[in-house]
Order: sequence, then C-alpha cells, then structure tokens
Amino acid sequence: MKLLKIALKSACNRKVSLSLTMFSIAISIVLLLGVDTIRKQAKNNFINTISQTDLIVGARTSPINLLLYSIFHIGNATNNVSYASYKQIAALKQVKWSVPISLGDSHRGFRVMGTNSDYFRYYRHSNTQSLHFQQGVEFSDVYDAVVGFDVAQSLNYQLNTQIVLNHGIVATKYSEHDDKPFRIVGILKKTNTPVDRTVLVSLQGIEAIHVDWQSGKRSALKISAKKARQMGLEPKSITAFMLGVESKITLFSLQRKINNHPNEPLQAIMPGSTLASLWQTMGQFEKVLMAVSVLVLFTGLMGLLTALLTTLNERRREMAVLRAVGAHAYHIIVLFVLEAILVVMGGFLFGIAMLYAMQAIMQPILADSYGIFLSLKMLDGEQIIILLVALLLAIILSLIPGLIAYKRSLQDGLMVKI
Amino acid sequence: MTAAVIQFSNVRFRYSEQGQDVLDITDLQVHQGEHLFIQGASGSGKTTLLNIMTGINQPYAGKIQVLGKALQNLSAIESDRFRVDNLGIIFQQFNLLPYLSLLENVQLPCWFSAKRRAQAGNSKQAAAELLQQLHIPKSMFDKPVNALSMGQQQRVAVARALIGKPEIIIADEPTSALDSDNRKRFLDLLFSQTDKQNSTLVFVSHDSQIAPYFSRTIDLSEINSAIDTEYNA
Repeated sequence: MKLLKIALKSACNRKVSLSLTMFSIAISIVLLLGVDTIRKQAKNNFINTISQTDLIVGARTSPINLLLYSIFHIGNATNNVSYASYKQIAALKQVKWSVPISLGDSHRGFRVMGTNSDYFRYYRHSNTQSLHFQQGVEFSDVYDAVVGFDVAQSLNYQLNTQIVLNHGIVATKYSEHDDKPFRIVGILKKTNTPVDRTVLVSLQGIEAIHVDWQSGKRSALKISAKKARQMGLEPKSITAFMLGVESKITLFSLQRKINNHPNEPLQAIMPGSTLASLWQTMGQFEKVLMAVSVLVLFTGLMGLLTALLTTLNERRREMAVLRAVGAHAYHIIVLFVLEAILVVMGGFLFGIAMLYAMQAIMQPILADSYGIFLSLKMLDGEQIIILLVALLLAIILSLIPGLIAYKRSLQDGLMVKI
Repeated sequence: MTAAVIQFSNVRFRYSEQGQDVLDITDLQVHQGEHLFIQGASGSGKTTLLNIMTGINQPYAGKIQVLGKALQNLSAIESDRFRVDNLGIIFQQFNLLPYLSLLENVQLPCWFSAKRRAQAGNSKQAAAELLQQLHIPKSMFDKPVNALSMGQQQRVAVARALIGKPEIIIADEPTSALDSDNRKRFLDLLFSQTDKQNSTLVFVSHDSQIAPYFSRTIDLSEINSAIDTEYNA
C-alpha cells in the first residue's frame, strides 16, 4: 500500500535516529530471548543429562557437588571411593547394575573418564536414549579409547588416531602420559550431554598410565606400556559410581545403607531430586535475569517513543503536505503506527540474527566451561508471544505521538506557517 | 457569466476558543475557469478562508457550495476525499516531501484519490509530462528535492496540484519566496497550465503587485466584515 511506502521512505529519511532505536530494541531482544533460551536449554540439558540412574555414589560432599563433578564434569571430586567399597556395594542383592567412574585426567581440554563397558549398556540420557556409536566399537584393550562427538569433531579425530592423555585437568608439557598413547576405537553420536566432550577409557587404562606415578609426579622408575599391560591393573579407587536398583521399593533403604557404609564415609544421591534442587537454586537467579531483560526491552520501547515524539515538530509540515494531497487525519496515526511497527520488526529481525550469531559463537564456550549445550532452535511459542506482546506495546506507545500529530493536523489544517 | 464553482453565502466562522468571528462573508463567488486573486494583508483571514474553502474547517453559520456540494454538511472524511478529488493545493513553500523523488511527489494525489488517478491515466507518465511542461529538466526527476531551487520546487508543487485534472487549483502565496523575475515566469506557467486543463484558479496573496496579472481581484478586507469590525473597535 502507498501509505506503507510513504512510512518506509519517511523513516529512511530519519534513518540515523531510527536505526539507533532499532539497534537498542535489537539488543534488548537479544538479551531477553538469549536469557530465555539459555535458561530453557540449560534446564533441558540438566534434566536430560542423566536418566534411569537410581543412585550416584561418591565421597561425602554436598549432593549438588557430587552430581556436578560426577555427571557434568564441573569441578573436582573432594575425595575418592575405594574400589573395595564399590565392589562391595555393587554386589548387594538390591543392586541391578553399577557403573564406576574415574575422573582426573584430561586430553587437550576434554575430560578423560575411566569406566567399564557397562557404561555403554546402562547410561541413559534424554529419558531413554542410550549411547550410540557413530563409528567403531567400545573399548576392549587397555589402551583403547572412545571419544565423544564434540571431541572427534573439534580435534578432527578419526578411528585409530593415537592420542596422549594428560595428568590432571590443566594440561602442561610435563604432565603428559606420553609413554602410553591410546588408540581411538570408537566415536559416539551426539548426545548434547557432557559425554560429547569426554574421552572414555577403561579403568585399566587409567590404572596403566598411573602405574609409575606417585603423588602427581612421574616416579623415576619407569614402566613401559607393554609391561604395564602385564600387571594386575586393578584400580585402588574410583571417583564415583552410578547404580540402578532391582526394585524401586528398596531405593531408600539402599540409599540409607550406603550412607551408613561402615568402611568409609559415602554418600548416595538420587539424581532426579538433586537436579530439581539444583535447578531451584538457579531458578531464582533466572527469574531476576528475566525481569531485568523485560525492563531492558521496555527501555528500548521507551526509546522508540522518545524518537517518535522528538520528530513531531519537524514533521508538522510533512503532515500538512500529506493532508493537502488527500491523506485523512487518521492516516497520520497510521503513519506513526506503521513506523513503530517497522522499527520494532527491524529490531526483532536484527536482534534474532544477532542472537543466533552469538549462540553459534558462544556454543563451544558455554559447553566448555558451564556444561550447557545450546542448540540453535527455532523460537518457541512462548518467545513468539513475548515478541508479539512487545510489538503490541510498541503499537500502543506509538499511538501517543500519533494522536498528538492527529490533533495537531486537525488544528493546523493545511496552512502551517513555519 | 459562467457558473460559480465556489459560492459563500453568509459564512461566519470563529475558532472555538475565541469569542469573536474571524470570518464573516456575506457573498463570494468564484466562476468556472477564472483566475481569481484574493488579496489580503496578514491577519485579514486568508488562512481561515482557505481552510474553509478546502473543507478543513467548517463555519458555524452560512453555506459554502464547492462544485455544487455543500461543504458544511460533509463529514471530516468526506471532506478529505472531496478535497483530494477536486482541489489541487499549492503552499507558500516547502510543498514537497524531501524523502520522495520529484515524480513521486507529483503523483501523491493519485495515491490517495481514485478519481485523480483515473483522470491522470498513467500517473507516472502524467507526472513526467507535467514536470516537463513546467520546465523541470528530465535529469532532475530522480534528484532529491533539496537539490532544487525554490522556483523549481514551486513549479513541482504546481505539477502536483494539476495532476489528475482537479477542477479547482488553490494557491496560498506560492510566489512569496520567489524573486520578481521568477514570479512572473511562475505565474505565466501556472496560468497556461490551469487554462489548458480548464481548471479554476484561486490565488491568495498579500502581494498587490501581482494583482494586474489576474482576471479578477478581490480584497479580502472588503468582503470580510469580521475584520472590519475588529479594525474599527
């Protein structure tokens, strides 16, 4: 329609102030949708990271801490669990399955996790998903390794690539287990969980590379990879273990039993309830962030109102000319509303584009340091409603200058003397 | 004598916040095809007269017939439509929208009026023809408005008033920003173009020097009794 053309060209004529307004709306949209996306996806990730595991057992610490370091690989274990205790508990008749976890080493920034082949059998994420191999098979030899999707992707690893593990989480040149390289035998499919960023090896492998280490340093007595293979390689301790029960009815009594384990202080947590309480703590923070973002969006819209109001005087003549060539007085209101819609929609599009660009850039960083896996998704219904409400608000706000200009143009008529 | 296209009878107007009439015209007739010059000093009610003649303001008493239509009975939207359908309006200055090209500026009435659009035929072509007849070089058609001289801008405004052949052209001091050479040339072009499409011209100005060019001259202070009483008081 011609009025839209006029509104567009008129807006282009004032593009500096309007594009600044558009930019501020775009930024507030980035903030609002960004916070919303992160909070939703973070929640999703957290909830989906582990499922169908009844208990996680580790050294005594806060339940959240145990969950964070054992499953999310955030932070470090406070203490270990003796392998003897693990075997004792795993052998209890209530326990259907158990999977040991041994953490502490890394490979080029990715965590290394020692476990056994039961991990591939029992670990579940996103409700019922088990781990699937994109290529290769699970580890069978001491020096075999399976890598997560992101590890293979970002380091460009194929099957049979030789990798060297690092002692500790921070890689230094002097802490490499370079005498005992591992061979990649399997690459996992993407799971959107910390598994994607993990190198999986057998417990024996973890044992082998540490067999000639003492107190975090390589001892003078070197043992070759071949020799290590011949040794017992029974681990003395592990970081934590996951277990499933035969019957849910026994879950609480088993938990109590583990918590009162006579040989060493242990703690068993239920991942579901711990996830929920973790999310509750973060939920408060999330609400504050959302409130701040809503306020920022509101500020952006007020900026739009200011930009429209400040142009009222300079546009007086424009309105008179339009009236003289046949525009009705209500067309003047429509012009202001159209302008607001143009600026806000432009801000939305720009903001959404920025949001996606930022998500693409932030993805590896967030995954790396916070264990949050953002996937680029379409806007969900709630977010579209947020945008529509903002648009509606902008239209309502634009009625203020629109009505002022309308009243003025009725008063001025065609003959504005400026 | 030809028929009256505009007829005022006993028209009285005041702005609602004022206690006094600003316009009180017993009889004013504008005839078809004439070039009428309405001369008035500032404060004599020129602007009010034009606002009433174009249906922007409505009198509280009296009748105004424009092209046989009683303006005082029209709703705001009807009078807006009537205005764009039948009147071409030229301002003192700043007639053009700076963000539209010359051609678009000239076509504006056709965007809002189906009647003007139909009468113009191909509006873009009609606009280009009018601009050429008003001596605007073709090379300027796509230039921004502010690259034009004042005289050129006013001629573009004439083209816009003329497009779609409205019956009446109303000009509000269009020459006040022009020097005397340009003024004469502007008037010649304005006359020849309005005559060409058989439109009536109502030209309002304070400048009595240009009165001789017109077929008829009216002094507003003589027909507006509201002003006389104010002067006498």
